Amino acid sequence: MNWFGDVKTVCLLAAIVTGALGIWLLLPRGNRRGQIAGTLLAAVSLGLLMSLLPMMGAWVSQVLFWILAIATAVAAVATISMRSPVYSAIWFGLTLLTTAGLFLLQGAQFLGVATIVVYAGAILVTFLFVLMLAQPQGHEYYDRISWGTLPTAFAALAGVLIVGGLTYMLTNLDATAVNESIASAAVHQGDGEIFADQHMAKLGGELFSRHLISVEVAGTLLLVALVGAVAIVIQGKEPRASTAALRGGGPSDA
Amino acid sequence: MLNEVAVLQNYLVIGAVLFAVGLIGFIVRRNMIVMFLCAEMMLQGVSVTLVAFGRYHNNWGGQMLVLFIITVAACEAGIALALILMLFKKSGKLDIAFWQDMREAGQPPFVDRAIPEERAEERVWPRLTPAGIEPQVDEVEKEERLHRSRV
Amino acid sequence: MSTLLMLIPGLPLAAAIVTAVFGPRVLRSQSHWPTVLALIGSFACSAALLYQISRQQPVEPGVETKGFEYVCRIWTWANIAGAYDQPPQPGETPQSVVAGGRRDFRIDVTLRADALTGIMLAMVTFVSSLVAIFAVGYMHGDRGYWRFFSYISLFVFSMTMLVSVSNFVLLYVFWEAVGVCSYLLIGFWYHKPEAAAAGKKAFLVNRVGDFGFALALFLIWTNYYTLNFHDESSVKPAFGSAAVASGAAESGNTPPPGVLSPSRIEANDYYGGALGLAICLLLLLGACGKSAQFPLHVWLPDAMEGPTPVSALIHAATMVTAGVYMVTRCTPLFLASPDAQLVVAVIGGFTALLAGLIALTQYDLKRVLAYSTISQLGYMFLGLGTCTLAGITAGMFHLFTHAFFKALLFLGAGSVMHAMGHVIDMRRFSGLRKIMPVTHFTFLAGCLALAGVFPLSGFWSKDAIVAAVHEKAYPAAHESMAGAHAPANEESDDAASHARPTPETVLPLTDDQRATIYGCLFYAALFTAFLTAVYTFRAFFMTFYGPERVPHEAGHHAHESPQVMCVPLAVLAAGAIFVGLYFEFTGSFAGFLQPLLPFAPHAHEINLPIAVTSTLIAVSGIGLAGHLYLGDAREVQWLTSLLRFDWMARLADAGWVARLKQLGPVAAVNRAARAVGLGLLATLVGYVLLLVVLILAAPLLICHYFSPYRLSYHKFFFDEIYGALVVWPLRALAAVSFWFDRWIVDGLVNFCGRVPPAVGTLMRSLQMGLVQFYALAMVLGVLILIAARMFGLGG
Repeated sequence: MNWFGDVKTVCLLAAIVTGALGIWLLLPRGNRRGQIAGTLLAAVSLGLLMSLLPMMGAWVSQVLFWILAIATAVAAVATISMRSPVYSAIWFGLTLLTTAGLFLLQGAQFLGVATIVVYAGAILVTFLFVLMLAQPQGHEYYDRISWGTLPTAFAALAGVLIVGGLTYMLTNLDATAVNESIASAAVHQGDGEIFADQHMAKLGGELFSRHLISVEVAGTLLLVALVGAVAIVIQGKEPRASTAALRGGGPSDA
Repeated sequence: MLNEVAVLQNYLVIGAVLFAVGLIGFIVRRNMIVMFLCAEMMLQGVSVTLVAFGRYHNNWGGQMLVLFIITVAACEAGIALALILMLFKKSGKLDIAFWQDMREAGQPPFVDRAIPEERAEERVWPRLTPAGIEPQVDEVEKEERLHRSRV
Repeated sequence: MSTLLMLIPGLPLAAAIVTAVFGPRVLRSQSHWPTVLALIGSFACSAALLYQISRQQPVEPGVETKGFEYVCRIWTWANIAGAYDQPPQPGETPQSVVAGGRRDFRIDVTLRADALTGIMLAMVTFVSSLVAIFAVGYMHGDRGYWRFFSYISLFVFSMTMLVSVSNFVLLYVFWEAVGVCSYLLIGFWYHKPEAAAAGKKAFLVNRVGDFGFALALFLIWTNYYTLNFHDESSVKPAFGSAAVASGAAESGNTPPPGVLSPSRIEANDYYGGALGLAICLLLLLGACGKSAQFPLHVWLPDAMEGPTPVSALIHAATMVTAGVYMVTRCTPLFLASPDAQLVVAVIGGFTALLAGLIALTQYDLKRVLAYSTISQLGYMFLGLGTCTLAGITAGMFHLFTHAFFKALLFLGAGSVMHAMGHVIDMRRFSGLRKIMPVTHFTFLAGCLALAGVFPLSGFWSKDAIVAAVHEKAYPAAHESMAGAHAPANEESDDAASHARPTPETVLPLTDDQRATIYGCLFYAALFTAFLTAVYTFRAFFMTFYGPERVPHEAGHHAHESPQVMCVPLAVLAAGAIFVGLYFEFTGSFAGFLQPLLPFAPHAHEINLPIAVTSTLIAVSGIGLAGHLYLGDAREVQWLTSLLRFDWMARLADAGWVARLKQLGPVAAVNRAARAVGLGLLATLVGYVLLLVVLILAAPLLICHYFSPYRLSYHKFFFDEIYGALVVWPLRALAAVSFWFDRWIVDGLVNFCGRVPPAVGTLMRSLQMGLVQFYALAMVLGVLILIAARMFGLGG
């Protein structure tokens, strides 16, 4: 394969490089220089990545997907690059919403709603409560900085390489195999279960028939986790350091 | 009629993006709560992938798995947040770098080389009222507080 | 008889074990009982054995009888059937050696009883019993009381085995065993550094000799194809049926005749020439090590660090005579090599003279006796070196009598030490004859015997040796004398010499030259006898005569030793006085040994001129010692300073030379020169003379340093010479080896050991305890795996 002759490969490489650089620039490093450049680079990378993906064949789905995908990616990057954990949590909430949208597009209505209700409604709020308990005020120093230049760059490169690798594999699939699988998938499409009527009923049936034991185990797990969480929090009887921190006299301030 | 393979590919890539960004965040950020958010984000990426595969194969397996992922994530969140609270009670901060006692004996501890001062224009941050204790009103900050954005 | 033979070593062994097991806890201060009882029992058995042997072998001087030999096998130690191939021997030696074939490698634990063994056993057990009794008093209250008696028993076991085994391998085993016991007992007070060092020295010096002995054994094995003394056919089983004994017969091949078996002696089937010389010299090296002869004599004086009873028993009476015993036992081998005989005689004579010279100036009572022991052992070797019946029996006779009077002298010295609070320096006490009358008289008996005064035992044996050497040096005179006295014996003598082919020699010496050497040795022996008398009585007079002085270590209780120590002294004194007389007048000693040895019987007669001469010499030596040490002390000092070349040191003293100008004639010349205006010239000449004197001073100083007195006092610097020639290079080599081992070998090992930690240190810096770095590392690892999979690696 001619690496540089192949436009797709060049695009992919460019997406990897710009994505890594952009995310690296966006991550908190103690100052805000390069954030705009980072945003631009990340956007370029996202665009390149999107351009590499194949068309779905129906423009409504395609546009909806693009909107949701771009929103998801932007919200995700914003989650990890915000200085304030509160903002991070809120951007994560947006990520959850867009993910729920993606679920809906994929024929997983129940999951979409469950994500919003359980994640955004319950888990994320718990996060915010904990934030309120632990860090009621402003930017701590450890929010403004991260681990330093080199580890950050490594992490960004590693993350982007995962996406790049996947995309590379996907774009280089054998065309005939892809076409064949299109045909076979089309066969599924007609009499499939996911897009059939009575989605919830079928999902419930599946869940409580084939996965009944798993459901029971998951319920037990939830109970155990609840008891465990309470037990962990009850243990600590010396709230001195935390009280001091809440009153504004924590060790970091001193 | 959608190109199912193209749909799968698209969703796989966006799942991978979520996963990768969560990974970067988990490695890079030092606030324990943010790290945990990033872990949740990785789970979301996996969920997207699973749902996409479920659609491609047109069965319930993917969605079932995602359901259990949400359950486990809830458990995980409960316990992890309890742990984070305990750690915070001990150290008074959410900095993961405070907890590095597991390092090799004789290894010097990690110390931040220089923490840059926060510039004035950056000192605009959301502020949450401390939960569970009586709010203390600092006379000097009182005025400033009124103009501060609240989230 | 086999029961007796086994009881003699068995009793001390049992006593050693009992004492070692029960000594520290149960017996404690009664630890001597097993040893004393066992040794006395052993002596009784030895006496019975000796009686039986003498009954089996009638002692009739001058009549040829077949040597009595009784060999019993206790068990077979090693038996490898058909282990080696014996080639047929070429015609030169093999009258008795049968054609070649497969042979068993077989080592039997066999004990033998013959005249030599019987005498040695009786002597060893007798002296050791008395020494053990003496030690009850001497060692009383010592912390290692039980240990001492355990060692003593073990030693007696080893020594009795040494003299009664009938195999070279076992001889070597017990040769080493007595060495170990000697080491243990020299270093008995191991917390004293000198004692520990002396033990080590004795052991190491003995190693040199034992190495030679081992080589000799190898040579004997490769040439005679057996290491047994006896013929297999003559062995009787100690117990059980005869089937055990006939093991050799079952295997169907006849083993070669024993090295020292009567059949081989009869056939005179021994190697001469260079091979015989090599075997004999290597055996002699072993004997020199054990018996402290010239090149290897340095350990014995240091061995006096051990307890005095040990010195008496091991380092005077028994162990050191093992070499003499061994050479005597191997007489047939030595007979085949006149060169070896010559070397034995020369070494013996030289050692006797050397040790006598050194003993003259020592102040340590025990060391005087130690050098005296070396000197007397030299006499014995001299006697053995003549390799005539008279010489060998005289050597053995001297061994026998020497055991009595030297043990007596050592025990006497021990008694003195015991009373003087373990002070042994003769300059610090004197005039003890009133305080210790018993010790005084017994010591006197020992001294007289050692000096060789007429009726005492030392006289007879020493005289016999001197006479034997004289006979070897002047054979013609003796033949005529023998012819005049006993013409009947000449025939048998001739017959023997005809039957025996003249052994070939290696050294390019004519018979006349050999005779001359023996002549020199004869005079050396006479001079040594004189020295012996002088130093013996020097020690005696310094200790027991003169003003009464007692060192402060003795405290107020300087007294005669207890009864338990005096009785052995008295018994030994009686032995020293009468044993020689008894054997001489019954004439049984030589006759008793003769049948064992390959000589024609020979009527024993006293060589009167030599006897008179040696007695005169001894008496004159005693007289000189008495004159010097009983009379004016200044004479001794004058003689000492004369022998120390003190005037040479004076010459080298610049101040003394400068004072010369005040002497009358020199001053007159000086004054005259100044008067005629040549003062400057006189001064110049003076300076030139001074310069000349100073240049001469260096060799003079060296001469002074090597003056006879100093040479003797410093033991002819043997320790220093060996230190420079052997010890120092070995230490340097050891240091180099240590350095090499420490830094090169260990360095390599340590380097290999340090590589993993070094790599680990690199990895350690990654273990920083931060969770996210572990996560990052994990992700990078996963990435690499993914990349490998993507690009087709790993299938």
